[in-house]
Amino acid sequence: MSKVTSESVREDLTGLSRRGFLRLSGVAGASAAAASLLASCSSSGSSGSSGGKVNLLVWYWGEQEAPGMQNFMKKAVARYNSQQSKVTVTAVLQSSDSLYSAFATAAQAGKGPDIQYLWGGTQALGDVWLGYCAPLSDYIDASWLRENIPQAALAQTNWGGKQWGMPFYQIGTAFPYNKKMFADAKLNPDEPPVTWDDYTTALSKLKKIGVSPIGAGFKDQYLGGWLASYFGQQNFDTIEDAIAPFRGSVKYEGPKYTEWINQVQGLVKSGFFNDDVQSINLYQGQNLFTARKAAIVTSVQPQITSFYRTMGGNDTVGVMRSPAFGTGKFANSFGAPAQVLLLTKFSPHKEEAANFLKFLHTPAMMHLMYQESGAICPDNKFDTSWFDTETDKTMWHWQQTLPNFWYQYYYPLPFETNGVDPGLQQLWQPNGSVTAAVASMQGAINKWGEQTPEQLSAYKTWKPLPG
Amino acid sequence: MGPRVRPRWFVPYVFLLPVGIFLALVFGYSLVAVVIQSLRVPGILGVTNWGLGNYHGIFGDPLFWRSLGDNLKLFLVIPVMTVVGLLMAVLLYERTKGWRIYRSLAFLPYILSVPVIGVVFSYILELNGVLNQVLDSLHLHFLVHDWLGNPNLALWSIAFIIAWQQTGLAIVLFLARLASVDEQLYEAAMIDRANWWKRFWHITLPQLARVIEFFVVISLINMLSWVFSYVYVMTGGGPEQKTYVTELYIYEDAFRNGLSNLASAASVVLLLVAAALLFVQAIARKGVDRIEV
Repeated sequence: MSKVTSESVREDLTGLSRRGFLRLSGVAGASAAAASLLASCSSSGSSGSSGGKVNLLVWYWGEQEAPGMQNFMKKAVARYNSQQSKVTVTAVLQSSDSLYSAFATAAQAGKGPDIQYLWGGTQALGDVWLGYCAPLSDYIDASWLRENIPQAALAQTNWGGKQWGMPFYQIGTAFPYNKKMFADAKLNPDEPPVTWDDYTTALSKLKKIGVSPIGAGFKDQYLGGWLASYFGQQNFDTIEDAIAPFRGSVKYEGPKYTEWINQVQGLVKSGFFNDDVQSINLYQGQNLFTARKAAIVTSVQPQITSFYRTMGGNDTVGVMRSPAFGTGKFANSFGAPAQVLLLTKFSPHKEEAANFLKFLHTPAMMHLMYQESGAICPDNKFDTSWFDTETDKTMWHWQQTLPNFWYQYYYPLPFETNGVDPGLQQLWQPNGSVTAAVASMQGAINKWGEQTPEQLSAYKTWKPLPG
Repeated sequence: MGPRVRPRWFVPYVFLLPVGIFLALVFGYSLVAVVIQSLRVPGILGVTNWGLGNYHGIFGDPLFWRSLGDNLKLFLVIPVMTVVGLLMAVLLYERTKGWRIYRSLAFLPYILSVPVIGVVFSYILELNGVLNQVLDSLHLHFLVHDWLGNPNLALWSIAFIIAWQQTGLAIVLFLARLASVDEQLYEAAMIDRANWWKRFWHITLPQLARVIEFFVVISLINMLSWVFSYVYVMTGGGPEQKTYVTELYIYEDAFRNGLSNLASAASVVLLLVAAALLFVQAIARKGVDRIEV
């Protein structure tokens, strides 16, 4: 006769003993852990081939900067896939914070996208120097690149005698201004200032009518790079001048490199910025323009197009370049940096990936990009009849007639985060000085060279295209 | 009655195994990966060298030491949180009318999401934000400051927000412990005509010693490695890198400057400092146990 125990009674009632319950819980827990682990190991999209068909994976960004870019990519990919019998492209939009870290992880694992979007210039070359990318010029003929892509756009990711990035879209950088405020301040709304003296005179008049002449926000540490790139290149004649301090061949000192800091200090001391610039973010500063509290803001071409379309068109919104104070070739220049798409080193389908990149430069795709996002594809075949805003026509004219140079794409990013940003921020303090700002920037260059000797050696061997 | 079957020694570990595997994969693997990454010194075009170059890089960086220093400055908030939390717990323990509502209100900041707190206070503390507008309207113009844009004030503004949020935890912890203190101790003290201060010093504080020690150590670790969200949202490390805590240093190197190897080295150093704090806590706990006895 079996003994009746509380354990056995419970088992009769529930069909499960305590021991059995614990055993099952352990198995369930292990299964859940294994399932979540497998789920987390899956990548966003997959590259590879199956049944003779090639699957290309593209990781891209841009919706945040040029709204509508995601729609463009969906349509572009759909059209390409419908035309191709042997290649299927999948494009996955990345978030800002994980754009670089996700690619670094994929590159170190040797598995991930075939095509990777990166911000241009040295922000792409950094990953090139780490060995994550394959040279574009090994898969696309140099003559095709020369004939189709403006040299200034190619120069930003040309290094070691090879072309690495395919310019994807450009972000012309300029200052939108409020024409009505200009008129109220007795300034000619159709002729914005071109020289520095005219600029400061205009700012003084705008201040008198009770608006912030320049709307900006520095709290999130992005404005420094904009100011450096609007004003920092004005005494340079060549790209070589721009990168010389980072080779270690010259110090970041003297009027050639630091006159612009004096000019920025002048703007600060004259009270031409909004008074809360240190406690608001970049986009909050830009929003002062749409809120009609600031006359001039920093901006990029897709955003300027958006201002134009939403604030009353040509009657309200004009666009101006950086006013000139310098004496170098780049004093009168226009910055139209290009974001790029790169072939990844670990892609097994680099030829197919290169073909897709060329497809994005066909007239139909360039037109579609402009229609969907307002962004311009840097290509000599771009048809200016597609423009539907006066600001786009104006910026295009500058790009065709002036040197195209964007300083930020030629210096290492730590120079900006550790030198330019804190150096310029202290100008807003009562005891702020240009000397301290210059010391901050040279200190950042020294630190960058010590911490990243491989990047320093990359700069030393860099032979930039003329631009 | 049959012989009792002793479970084998490894049976408890078998039941712990699923969680152990999960923790090992999530935390253990990450830890090992970060240490390996910190020893990888990248060369040009994918060449990899191994060594302590990344550690030399961060130890020679004044910004790294300044970041650690900013974390140490935040430690100054801990005595404030502890004292305020203690006083409020003692007051609430008096069970005045509505004390449960006051307790809930005091704890409310602690359950709010840190990024949300950061965003809201960013707007409140702007130069033209709500706080300064209220001060202006009350003719307290001398109190109007750029709370987040002034390099001399920004870190202390963040410290105030942290204290506002974390003091709620102190209140709840201390109040919970007070509720379990033997009432006879206080009755005996009152019979001996001990006043409020003597009861507080000789009974309340020793009884709360362990939970105070726990809260202080947890707060030390929080100030060292859990303030990123406040700083990232409210100041971005500025102005002039004067609110540059160690976590932000790691984040900026990893995600903005593309220097993940340096960031990994800084992460390992931060981990070692936190481990040292835990070691100090273990020693402090022995001392506290003696006080409670």
